[in-house]
Amino acid sequence: MRHLFNSIILFMLMLTACSPPSNEVTVYCTVDQVFSEPVLKDFERETGIKVKAVYDTEETKSTGVMNRLIAERDNPRCDVFWSGDPVRNGVLQSRGITEPYQSEQTRLIPTQFKEKDNHWIGFSARARVLIYNKTLISPDSLPRSVLDFTKPRFKGQFAIANPLFGTTTFHMAALFVKLGDEKAKQWMNDLKANGVVIAASNGDVKKRVMNGELAFGLTDTDDAFEAKKESDKVDYIFLDQQENGIGTLIMPNALSLIKGSPQNENGKKLINYLLTRETETKLAKSCAQMPLIKGTEVPQNVPSLDNIQPMKIDYKETSDKLEAIQSWLKAWTEQ
Amino acid sequence: MDRAIVRHIIRMVPSLLLFLLLGLPLVLLLLQWLSGEDKSALLSSISRETLVLVGKSLLISGIVALLATFTGTVCGFILYKLRFAFIGIYKVALLLPLLISPYIFAVAWKDGFFWLFGNNAAIYSDAGVILVHTIVFFPLAMLITGSALSQVDAGYEEAGLMLMPFRKMVVKIVLPLIRPALTISFLLILIFSLSDFSVPAFFGVRTFTTEIFTQFSALYNFPLAIGQSVLLLFICLLLMLAEARYLSDAPFFSVSVKGGVSKKYNIQKRQALFHALLWLLLIMVLLMPVFMLGIQSLSGRTLFFREAWILMRPAALQSVKLALSGTLLLTSVGLWTAYAKDRMGNRLPNVLLLLTFIVPSTVLGIALIRYYNLSAMNFIYGTTAILLLAYLGKFGFIASRIIGNGIRQIPVSLEESALVMGIPSWKIFVKINLPLLVPSLFAAFVLSFILSLGELGVTMLVYPPGMELMPVKTFTISANAPEALTSSMTLINLGVTIALIALFFVAGKWLFKRYQYA
Repeated sequence: MRHLFNSIILFMLMLTACSPPSNEVTVYCTVDQVFSEPVLKDFERETGIKVKAVYDTEETKSTGVMNRLIAERDNPRCDVFWSGDPVRNGVLQSRGITEPYQSEQTRLIPTQFKEKDNHWIGFSARARVLIYNKTLISPDSLPRSVLDFTKPRFKGQFAIANPLFGTTTFHMAALFVKLGDEKAKQWMNDLKANGVVIAASNGDVKKRVMNGELAFGLTDTDDAFEAKKESDKVDYIFLDQQENGIGTLIMPNALSLIKGSPQNENGKKLINYLLTRETETKLAKSCAQMPLIKGTEVPQNVPSLDNIQPMKIDYKETSDKLEAIQSWLKAWTEQ
Repeated sequence: MDRAIVRHIIRMVPSLLLFLLLGLPLVLLLLQWLSGEDKSALLSSISRETLVLVGKSLLISGIVALLATFTGTVCGFILYKLRFAFIGIYKVALLLPLLISPYIFAVAWKDGFFWLFGNNAAIYSDAGVILVHTIVFFPLAMLITGSALSQVDAGYEEAGLMLMPFRKMVVKIVLPLIRPALTISFLLILIFSLSDFSVPAFFGVRTFTTEIFTQFSALYNFPLAIGQSVLLLFICLLLMLAEARYLSDAPFFSVSVKGGVSKKYNIQKRQALFHALLWLLLIMVLLMPVFMLGIQSLSGRTLFFREAWILMRPAALQSVKLALSGTLLLTSVGLWTAYAKDRMGNRLPNVLLLLTFIVPSTVLGIALIRYYNLSAMNFIYGTTAILLLAYLGKFGFIASRIIGNGIRQIPVSLEESALVMGIPSWKIFVKINLPLLVPSLFAAFVLSFILSLGELGVTMLVYPPGMELMPVKTFTISANAPEALTSSMTLINLGVTIALIALFFVAGKWLFKRYQYA
């Protein structure tokens, strides 16, 4: 009996003494797996460091990864958080879950695309675009600005994704910053009056436009790019490109190093790997993401940031605005 | 020490272990919430608006539970009490909707509506949620009522048929005899429907669960979300306790008998009618969504089946292994908790499983993370053990209730006779109870496997980094992958599960024959 007891204790000690192997890195990722996984596999192949990834789903609106990171705060399991936009990184920063990180690679990224203390660093960006079905609306008749969506001729013909989730939240917050609260609220109420369809996600907007259920909708460049690959009936345009227009919202991917993470050094290696021209080229090829590092090679069909008039925003201010308007957006959605 | 005390301690140890593994994480989360800084969350979780939303959600889920229980009972009766061709195939085919995620069903029905009518506005409504939930959950009622119907003693029916016509006998004798199964079906479906957020969220219908989900995922307001979850837990608990108080313990059960062969009826003349009815149902609940998935998987510019299989293969193997381990655990724990409740008067394990079953997935996931995310617990949190615990928390209660229904129908007199003859209790359990419980154990096994294989809510929160599982992979890939690829993956997912369920049924048939249930 005593031997059995001792064996159990020894076994438990062995289990608890096991620290994570040093040759791995854990990444939590909200970027679509179909695009992020190949890049992580390349890192694994090139460095020999095993990547253990947790991906998130369209269905759960990234709840899995975010709730997990918040719940694991006191004993982090994740080394790097790779997000599709900087808003979530902002939430984590405000809860003390991220730590600043600076390296040669982070310096390549333009200042406006990283947090001032480097709690998150942006790379390869997406933009918000208008996707449309060519069989339902001609390019000449399309709105040229998000503000045109409220015109009566577009009544009931367009969709946006639920503004409480994903990049649409970020877009709405940016518009609130740009237009001011009063004007932005009026615009959103006018959208409602003009029969906007609130889709479950950007992917749902893409699908409804592809299927011909709706003439156009707001989505991200990667969705639009995929839609074009899948169907000849759809195309996309950048909105608000007029001389004095408010510009198109640019959303970089954002990387954060998790405070107190178990494999901090490998996390830094992964961040440095992702912040390279090679990675940006891969993402440009796979999902039309626009590189932020000057001189990165991109395919012809991928838009360049140099040719787009961006919406000039402060990401921190937009994140703060987002927290302030969430309750209003919730009420608007439920109206 | 007194032998009785020692025996009592030995009896309590497993209950205590179950509490430490599953109950304590929830208790600690609740305590954290109660002692949190944001006291306003305690009050704001019970506002007038919240109560209205709770009422609306209960109404929607109540309708779902009624429709699904009715449909499931009709199917259960046709498939378990009547005798006609291809009945085994229908039994398996009508179980399949349980294998498809409600979210996939919602997408397929939306696309199906658009494909058929050129407009799908009607499905973005409460009616759409009711339709999809009824389709997804009715097999649960079919399985539970079917299992109960197959255990109704032929003697009652034969006696009834001597006095009244068939229809009246069904209404007056058979249905009252399976009343506990009907009630538990209704309540389980009500709770499943109440706790699903994916379908109402997709159709833009606001329910209490989408509200909790929004608080968690959009506003990151944990205190309010947990507060609302406690309210939901309280409502479900009241429903389940009412069921436990008024039905499960009613004297009705102590006189029920087991061991008699259930009566089956030949229907020579009306075979065509029943085939037509079952086919109509099959088209609605299975063939239409599968047809839509098939069309979508072929609609791409290239065929994606090979690519989909390459992506799914490692995840499929891992998922099946894990689901099998989970199923064995669920069935064993379900047997123990059901036996402890019904024969030993120990209700604690059953109540614990009831609590963890009712808790919304996100709350259970967060409770598990906060409790197990310690270096000393790495052998649980960093491994598949955490997923097994999640399955036990989510579905242990269902396994326990299915097996419990079977146990209650075994006459106590059989055990008492054996005891009088001096046969030890363990031998009575192995030689008398277990063989009589084979159909219930089989139903619990199959259902636990199906549910474990498709579980996503808690799995998303706790699956170990780097692990690939079928439902997770299908959903994570579905974001932005070509529709043809994701549809192909869903079909492969479905195919793998169907093949395994078919295998189980073949094994089940052999097992039933061995114990003379066939």
